Amino acid sequence: MLRPTPMKHVRILVLGEDLPQASLTLAELESFHADARAPEHEDLGDQPGLPYRDTWRQASSRLEKITKLIPLPTEGAPLNPRVIPEEELVETNNWLGGVWEETSHYEEQFRAIDDEDRLIREQQSALSNFEDLNIDLGMLRSKTRFLDFYVGVVPYANVRQLEGAVGLADHLLFQYMVTGDDAHVVIVGPSGDKEAQLESVLRSAGFRHLPIPPELDHEPQVMRAELTRRREATTAQRQALSQGLADWSAGLLERLLASREILRLAEPLVELDAAIRGRGALAHLTGWVPAAAVKQLETRLRETLSLPFALTSRDPLPEERSLVPTVPTRKRLLAPFALLVHQYGIPRYGEVDPTPLFAATFLLMFGTMFGDVGQGAVIAGLAWYFRARLGRFYLFGLMAGASSMLFGLLFGSVFGFEHWLPALWMSPLHDPLLMLRLALGWGVLFIALACVLAIYNRAVIGNWLGALFGQHGLVNLIFYLALAWGGLNVGQGQSFGPGPTLLVLLSLGALAWHGWGHLEAPVSEKVLVVFIETLETIVGYVSNTLSFLRVAAFSLNHAALALAVFTLAGMMGPFGHSVTLVLGNIFMIVLEGGIVLIQVLRLEFYEGFARYFSGDGHAFTPLRLGPAPGEKP
Amino acid sequence: MQHSAHQAYLNTRVSAMATRLFAPGTLATLAHRPLEELAKTFGLTAALDSQLPVKTRSRAVEQALIKTLLSELRILILPMAAIERTLVLDWGRHYALSNLKTLIRGKLFDLDRKEIAANLYELPPNLRLPQQDQLFQAENVLELLRQLEGGPYSIIARQAREVYERKHEPFALEAAIDQRYLTGLVREIAPFEATGAHSLRHLIGAVLDRVDILWLLRFRFSYKLSPSETFFQLVPSLGRMHRDRLLALVNLGTFAQVLAALPAPLDAKLAGSLDLVDVQRRLNAHVREEARQVISRGHSGVARALAYLIQREQDLLALFSLFQGRLLELPTELVEIAIEVANPRCPMNTGRATRAMDNATLSPSRHPSQG
Repeated sequence: MLRPTPMKHVRILVLGEDLPQASLTLAELESFHADARAPEHEDLGDQPGLPYRDTWRQASSRLEKITKLIPLPTEGAPLNPRVIPEEELVETNNWLGGVWEETSHYEEQFRAIDDEDRLIREQQSALSNFEDLNIDLGMLRSKTRFLDFYVGVVPYANVRQLEGAVGLADHLLFQYMVTGDDAHVVIVGPSGDKEAQLESVLRSAGFRHLPIPPELDHEPQVMRAELTRRREATTAQRQALSQGLADWSAGLLERLLASREILRLAEPLVELDAAIRGRGALAHLTGWVPAAAVKQLETRLRETLSLPFALTSRDPLPEERSLVPTVPTRKRLLAPFALLVHQYGIPRYGEVDPTPLFAATFLLMFGTMFGDVGQGAVIAGLAWYFRARLGRFYLFGLMAGASSMLFGLLFGSVFGFEHWLPALWMSPLHDPLLMLRLALGWGVLFIALACVLAIYNRAVIGNWLGALFGQHGLVNLIFYLALAWGGLNVGQGQSFGPGPTLLVLLSLGALAWHGWGHLEAPVSEKVLVVFIETLETIVGYVSNTLSFLRVAAFSLNHAALALAVFTLAGMMGPFGHSVTLVLGNIFMIVLEGGIVLIQVLRLEFYEGFARYFSGDGHAFTPLRLGPAPGEKP
Repeated sequence: MQHSAHQAYLNTRVSAMATRLFAPGTLATLAHRPLEELAKTFGLTAALDSQLPVKTRSRAVEQALIKTLLSELRILILPMAAIERTLVLDWGRHYALSNLKTLIRGKLFDLDRKEIAANLYELPPNLRLPQQDQLFQAENVLELLRQLEGGPYSIIARQAREVYERKHEPFALEAAIDQRYLTGLVREIAPFEATGAHSLRHLIGAVLDRVDILWLLRFRFSYKLSPSETFFQLVPSLGRMHRDRLLALVNLGTFAQVLAALPAPLDAKLAGSLDLVDVQRRLNAHVREEARQVISRGHSGVARALAYLIQREQDLLALFSLFQGRLLELPTELVEIAIEVANPRCPMNTGRATRAMDNATLSPSRHPSQG
């Protein structure tokens, strides 16, 4: 369960005509992870899939843009796998190009309506502003014999520069209002030959005229009604345009859906593009396939390809380990834990997958630190209730709640009440010292296990020196176990003991010797570095073990917090008593539950993963038939 | 304490990197070396692959040089505070704007998609245009700018779109993009009031002075734009070419009058220039000198880093011009003019010289801050 799915490196040689079918077959099987490295033979330098890919990308982009205006059903019809020849793809792309051209006209008309609406809103703002002015607005409306007037809106960012520019044409700019990113301005200056150059500057500045209607002089309310009417008209225009679009697109839906299917079926070849090389009629593709699936792959290719092909497979080479993808765990119960593990990293191929161990230790520690039948049931119940929203992650809540309930039974705690159920073991508060001793013991076991996994992970890739002397390697483990043995002796009132002392000294000596040999520095610096590193090893292991005291501390804290809630509730009347108990339990579930969750993750990631899990692998993402634009994944 | 440590680290980094800058005279020496030797010295062996067309080799050299510059930028921003990092990254984003202009030109002139793709720079994710692939798939300029309006380039894209919708002139469109970009860069200096503002203003001021003078001369006397239109396209500098000075200069009637009315020391540095190429060469030298001063005397880590990058970019562009000259088998005298180590003695409007200068100095990588 901890070992990765064995993988094979597969090389397939097909004739170019069969390439689309080969890609479709690979996508259907969902067991081929493309290897984009250049082929060993330099002769295979061509990329035969390039034109196909370019056409597909353009067509997909067009369909995506079209579906923003013409929504398609998100549920796609069941796929009927078939090869999409390049001619069909090109034809689809061309058809989509025509549809997009037409659709973009609708889009522009919608934008024009939006712009018109925005302008009317600006006019409404201007109206409110002009109403309060005690000037003859008729003067601003049109040119006079000697003066030009421009009233309008300009992007606020351009006002200062425009002010200088119109000044050079002997005009003045007044800003009288700012709305959003726009400024309302009046530009005034002498009529004459500079009008043309001013118009050009105004266009560059994004100036939009806001004509002042005659009604504004004496009947602003008439103007207000007119503007309201115009806004209603734009709304009606928008509705009419939407209807027009719906009517026009109704006849296209079937072909659009067909185009979507074509793109979906053509996608595997596009996805494979980086892994395809060739020369002339020969195409070469390589990838990683789970060892168990190679035979099925070969059989299926034999059934579907019409022309001869060659398939060879081999085990990954040692130097390729970092390139081999890791197949994620498919066990349903472990899936939510795998999600958390992937937050840290993906196991490198060959490395122990920590997910099962993570799941078991997480549940054990969470239950110990938050053991309560009632509160655990609430957590599990909430996870079940919200299972649709949480997806597969609800199982995480369900199991965490169950673990909490199990330990609640051991501790005899139900919503903090310790007399409702007889404890199968004891309440943590009854013997805090025992709890602390157990937590320390658990810490030693956990760290030792992490070291064993670190040793295994290095040994499996042939890094024997690392397995022996590296961080958390065998020598480190011997030192740590000897330290724990000596510590146990001291805890029982005895001396540290000659055996542990000897082992500690020998292992530290071996580490120092190894460190010394790998340093390139003056002797004094070597002495200093080796001394500090040795000290760090001792302090590190001791402090990391003490870190596990939090497991006991939180189980004690949980019981103590419940006690505090009961004390507070005891000081209230009957109603206050009940309210305090309910609120106290909510407080404990939300706040303490959250803190415990963080603390357990911290122990897992920092004390566990940091020792043995590199997390620098990459996930197995096989070629498959994906959703098309606008379709639900 | 942490800030001081980062500044010290950054300053040390810049000092160490500054040793990579070309010493005076280096380019002149390099101008006489053959292509093979140049390629080996700078590790640009792509230039030697005779199987590939000259254009492809030239492009590979340019891309490699940009990659070098941007990888140094990436190292320099590591110890920077957020606002410093934003400023330096935004300076580096002129390559993304260059890609945007390439896309716009491609759509405007309906160029082949492969040709457009071949002219796009490969940039790291933090400097890339957002959704560049989708922009590439846009069917026309308006659609492209509309898509860009949905992201961090919204202000630039909106202004460019509005200008394009009203004027339908590629020049106006690109000018609007450049203007908005430089205005944004100036605005980013504002939060630096307390820390290193002086050096930064000095540096960005010198860069903008250069841009303003070149644009002013070009728009007024080459494109014959009105004073109003010219002024509107300029970006008031934090240095000598401030707003009031620009207002005064755009109203002058001749090239010589503008040069004579420039503030010191620019008037002396540009005295006697007869054409834009010469003005550009002298202004480049001016910016280089200002950047060198910031590196040698400045205290602000971010200002020194930016000065280094500006100077380094000039070096690498000159190096690219040198490679291009060699690949096109141009005479050494012309290459020397292109890399600005020799004065143009030939009339610049002759066909051969103009083509050489176009190839060597007006490559697509020329961006707003390079005028």
